[in-house]
Amino acid sequence: MAYPFQLGFQDASSPIMEELLHFHDHTLMIVFLISSLVLYIISLMLTTKLTHTSTMDAQEVETIWTILPAIILIMIALPSLRILYMMDEINNPSLTVKTMGHQWYWSYEYTDYEDLSFDSYMIPTSDLNPGDLRLLEVDNRVVLPMELPIRMLISSEDVLHSWAVPSLGLKTDAIPGRLNQATLISTRPGLFYGQCSEICGSNHSFMPIVLEMVPLKHFENWSLSMI
Amino acid sequence: MLSRAAWSFVLRTGGLGARGTHSPGDAARSEGRMPPYTNCYAQRSYPMPDEPFCTELTAEQRALKEKEKGSWTQLSPAEKVALYRLQYRESFAEMNRRSNEWKTVMGSVFFFFGFTALLIWWQRVYVFPEKPITLTDEWKARQLQRVLDMKGNPVQGLAARWDYEKKQWKK
Repeated sequence: MAYPFQLGFQDASSPIMEELLHFHDHTLMIVFLISSLVLYIISLMLTTKLTHTSTMDAQEVETIWTILPAIILIMIALPSLRILYMMDEINNPSLTVKTMGHQWYWSYEYTDYEDLSFDSYMIPTSDLNPGDLRLLEVDNRVVLPMELPIRMLISSEDVLHSWAVPSLGLKTDAIPGRLNQATLISTRPGLFYGQCSEICGSNHSFMPIVLEMVPLKHFENWSLSMI
Repeated sequence: MLSRAAWSFVLRTGGLGARGTHSPGDAARSEGRMPPYTNCYAQRSYPMPDEPFCTELTAEQRALKEKEKGSWTQLSPAEKVALYRLQYRESFAEMNRRSNEWKTVMGSVFFFFGFTALLIWWQRVYVFPEKPITLTDEWKARQLQRVLDMKGNPVQGLAARWDYEKKQWKK
C-alpha cells in the first residue's frame, strides 16, 4: 500500500511491475534532462542584454531539433513496446478468477473446481479496527496463491469500473458486456491494496480491492472454508 | 520591445507576404520602416530609430542642421549634444535605466499571498469537517505497526527502512 511521504511507485510485487519501474526511471531521466535543458535555455534568454532581430533561417539547428526528438521518442517507444508485449506472453495460468464490478463493490468468482463467489465491500470508517487503513479495507479479501500465474477475467455488471492493484502493475478496465483478461503473479506473500480506477458514480472512491497472497496450502484451506 | 521585434520580423519576410494583403493606399508608404507611433523611439532591440525625434525645428536649430552638413570637426561639444538631442529622444544610458517597478510587483504578490492565507485559514475554521479518527497519533502508530508487520514495501519503501532485528528505524 502507499506510505507517508512516498515519492515514487509502490514496491513491485510482480515481474511486470519491476519492468515498469525500470522503464519509468529511464523515461523520467529523459524528461528531467529535457526539462532542465529547456529551463537553462529560458534562463539564458531572460538574462541577456544582447538582442538580435534579423534572424531569417536556422537550417542547421532546425534539423537537429527535429531529428533528435525523433531519436529520443524511439528510445522511449522501444522499451515501452517491449513491456507491452511482455504482458501478453503465454504463461499457463494455474487458476482463473473472475471479478465483476458493481456499483459500488467488487464480486469475485472462483469457478475452476467448485462454485465459490462472494462480494467485497469496503469497510466504513466507523467500523474499522484500530490500525486498519481508512478507505482501503474490505470485508472479504481476494485470497490467492502466491508465486503462481493467475488469470483474472474482469468485467462489470453495470457501468465502467477499473480493477487496479498498483504494486502488481495491474489496471484493467471493467466494461459491461466485455471480458478483459489480466495476468496476476505475485513474488511475495502479503496484502496488496488497490482502488477502483474508473469513475462509476458517487462511491467510486469507496470500492477498494485487497489481494491476500498466501502459500498454496493456505489458499486451499481458505477456499475449502469459503464454499 | 517584443512588438517592435515582431514587427521588424514581419517587415523583412519579403516576397508577397504582408504587402500582398494590404490595400493600395498602404503600398504608398515605403517598405522597411517601423510603424509611425514607435518610429522615433529608440528601443534596446531597435537602437537607431528611423525618424528623428524633433521634426519641427526653430530657426536656430535649422541653422545648426545646416552647420552639420559641413565638417563635424567645426562643431563644439555643446552643439554635438544639441544635434544628438534633436535626433534621439533618449541616450543609451537613459533608455536602459532601471526602474522601481519590481518593488510594486513583489509587494502585490506578497499581499495576495497573505490574503489567500487568510482565506485558507477562515476555510479551515469554518468550512472543513471533522478529521477522521484514523488521523490520531494512536491510530497512526497502530497502522504503522501493522504495515511493518505485513512488510509492506520491503524493497525500497517503508518496511525496507525498518531494522527488524533491532526494532528501530535503520540509520
